[in-house]
Amino acid sequence: MLRSIVAVLNHKKVVPLVFLIPFLTIFVLFKVYPVILAVIMSFQNFQGITSQEWVGLTNYENVFELVRFNQALANTTIYTIGTLLILIPLPLILAVLLDSGRVVQSTVFRTLIFLPALTSLVVAGTVFRLILAEDGFLNLFLSSTFGIQPQRWLEISNLSLPSLILVATWRWTGINILYFNSGLVNIPRELYEAAVIDGANAFQMFWRITLPLLRPTTLFVIVLSIIGGFQVFVEPFILYTGGGGPGDGGLTMALLIYRTAFTSFNFGTAAAMGVILAGIILVFSLIQFRFFGTFGREE
Amino acid sequence: MSKSRFLMLLFSLTFILGSISVVSAQTATDLSLWVFVDRHGLFMQHQAERWNEINPDRPINLTYEQIEYTQMHDNLLASLLVGTGAPDLADVEIKKFATFTKGVLHFIPLDDAIAPYRSDIIESRLAPYSANGHNYGIDYHLGSFVMYYNTAILEAAGVDVDSIHTWDDYIAAGQQVTQDTDGDGTPDVYMTSLETTDIFSAYALMLMMGGGTYNAEGQIILDSPENVAALQFMQDLVYEYGIARAASGGGHHAPDHYVDLTEGRIASLWMPQWYMTRFPDNMSSELAAVEVVRPMPIFEEGGYTTTMGGGTGTVITDQIDPSKIALAQEFLAFAKLTYEANVSLWTDLGFDPMRVDVYEDPALLIAMDDFSGEVPFTYIQAGLANVAPEYTGPFYPEIATIFQTTALYDLIENQKAPEEVLAAALAELQAMGAEVGG
Repeated sequence: MLRSIVAVLNHKKVVPLVFLIPFLTIFVLFKVYPVILAVIMSFQNFQGITSQEWVGLTNYENVFELVRFNQALANTTIYTIGTLLILIPLPLILAVLLDSGRVVQSTVFRTLIFLPALTSLVVAGTVFRLILAEDGFLNLFLSSTFGIQPQRWLEISNLSLPSLILVATWRWTGINILYFNSGLVNIPRELYEAAVIDGANAFQMFWRITLPLLRPTTLFVIVLSIIGGFQVFVEPFILYTGGGGPGDGGLTMALLIYRTAFTSFNFGTAAAMGVILAGIILVFSLIQFRFFGTFGREE
Repeated sequence: MSKSRFLMLLFSLTFILGSISVVSAQTATDLSLWVFVDRHGLFMQHQAERWNEINPDRPINLTYEQIEYTQMHDNLLASLLVGTGAPDLADVEIKKFATFTKGVLHFIPLDDAIAPYRSDIIESRLAPYSANGHNYGIDYHLGSFVMYYNTAILEAAGVDVDSIHTWDDYIAAGQQVTQDTDGDGTPDVYMTSLETTDIFSAYALMLMMGGGTYNAEGQIILDSPENVAALQFMQDLVYEYGIARAASGGGHHAPDHYVDLTEGRIASLWMPQWYMTRFPDNMSSELAAVEVVRPMPIFEEGGYTTTMGGGTGTVITDQIDPSKIALAQEFLAFAKLTYEANVSLWTDLGFDPMRVDVYEDPALLIAMDDFSGEVPFTYIQAGLANVAPEYTGPFYPEIATIFQTTALYDLIENQKAPEEVLAAALAELQAMGAEVGG
C-alpha cells in the first residue's frame, strides 16, 4: 500500500505537482480566492460579513457617477504613459552604457542606481517632499541650470503627476536596468564582433542588433510598467501622506479604491472599481502580446 | 548539551512559564490595546499602574501594541468586519471614527462609565465619538484652537501681540506684518498660512462662526451661511487683505511648512493646542525665545472663543470577553476623566485636558522655555470661555477627504466662490449616498 503511494508520488508527472503544491495552496488561498470574492463583492452591498445583499450592477453604475473616478482614471492613464515614456528608454540606454564596458566602476553605478528600490518609502517620501519644496533641490537645480522659475511642485494640482513620475523614475530605473541588463547578457558577443568587421558604428549596432534581440525583455518591461502604472498606489500615498495631493491631482485608481473601501466603508463599489481596473490592465496586456506577436508562433 | 539535559531545561522552562501565566491569570485582568502613537500606549499603561495602586483587588494587566496610523485603522476595521482578531481597547482617530459607525457598530457604549464625570468635563468633546445617542470613545485631549505668534516678527513690524483681540485687530496687524522685504513683488513674510490639503485652518473658522460639517441633529450643514462666510473669510485673508498664503506643502504638518516657520516667513498660525509639541520636535530651537501662545481672535463679543480640532478616542470593541466589559469601561473612564489622569494628560503627553477644574493645577501652570518662558496655560484657559462644539456624522470622513483634496484647493488656489465649492462638495456627498438637506 505505502509502496504504491510512494510509486505514484515518484511518478514523473506527479513529482512536479507535489513540488508545486505549497505554491499553489498559497496562490489559490491568497490570490485566486480573494479575486473571486472581490468579483462577487462587486455585485453586493457589502457591509460586514453579516450584512450583504445582491444589488446587481448598482455598484458599477455608482462608479461612473463618481466625479473622482473619471479623474482617477485620467490621472492613472497619464501617469502610466508618462512612466512608459521615461522608464523604458532611460533604463535601456543606461543598461547599454553600463554593459558597453566604457563606464568605469560600472558596478558602483549599478548599485547606486539600484539602491532606491531598497530604500524605505517612508523616508523617501519625506526626502522627496523636501526636494520638491518651493526652495528645494529641484527648483534650485532647474533655475540654476535652465533658468526656470521656481514651481510649487507639491501645492499645484497640475504638477502632481510630474512629481509622481519623478518619484517613480527614481524608484524604478534601477530595477528596469536590471531587467535590460539580464537581456543584454544573452545577446551573443559574436554578433557585435561581426558587425564591427562589417564597419557598423555604435548606433547601428544598437539599432540593428541590441534593440531587436532585446525585444522579449522590452515587452516584459513594458507589460510590467503598464501593470505597475495602473496599480500605482505607494508613490502618491507617501508623497501626499495618504491623500491624492492638492486638488486630488495625484489621485490614482488604487488610491480611490482604497479610499472607497476604508474611508467610505463601501466595499461593493470599491470592488467594482477593482474589477474595472483589472479589466483595463487585461485589455492593455492582451493588445501588447498581440502587437508584439508573443502569442503562439514566436520563441 | 546532552539530550536529557536539554529536555530537563525545556521541561523546567515550560513549568516556570506555565506557573507565571497561572499566577497572573489569577490576579490581573488582561486588557489589550492598539494605538498608533506610542506615547498614548505608555500613557494608558501609566494609568493602569495608577489603577492597580488604588484597586489592588481588581488589578489590570494592560498591554499595548503600536501600529502605524493607517494600518492600525485598517486592521481594526478588517478584524471587526470578520469578527475576530480585534483588541479589547483601541484608539480611533476622529476622522476615522465615523467609518466604524457605518453598518453594524462594533463598539461598546461608555455612557454609564462616563456619567460620574460628565459635569466635570467639557462635554461637547464627547460628541465626535458618539453615535445613535451613545458615547463610544473618550479622547486624550481637548484640542482647543490657539494662535501661535512669532513675537520677533510682530515686534519688528511694530505690533504688540497683546493688542490683538478680534479678527479685525488680527487683519490690521497682519497688514503691518506682511511685507515684501526684498522688493521682488511678492511678500516674504506673511501674517499667516492656510492649509489647502488639510482641514484645521478651515474647520476652526467654520466652527467658530457657528457652522461645521454636521449640526447637533446629525444633519449635514456644509452649505450653511456660516460656512460660506468662513470660507469667504479665508479667501479674503489671501486676496482681499493680502495677509495669508497657502501653507508650503499644503498643510501645517508639511516639512517645508516647518521650514517656513523656522525661517520666520510666517508670523502666526492657528492650530489646536497639541500643535505646541511640533515646535520643539520639528522646528529650530531659535523659535523657542520668540514663539508665544495666545487665545484665538474672536469674531464678535459673546461669540465663540475657540473650538476643538483633531483628536483620538479610545474605544472598547465588542470582541472583548464579556466578563471584562464592566472593568474595561470603568478603567477607561478612570484613565481619561479623573483629575489625576487629566493632569497626566498634560505632564505625560503635553495635551490640554478636557476637565475644566485641572486648569488651575500647579502642574499645568508652569513656565515653558519652548514658549518664551511664558505660562501657556493661562492663555489656553482664557480661550476656553465659549468653546464651539463640533458634531460629526457618518460622512465626516468623506467630508474631510473632500476638504483635504479639492474643496480648499479650489477655494484658495483656484479662487472659486465658497458657495460653488460647498455645492460641489454636497453634490459629491450625495453621489456617495449621503442625505443632504431638503
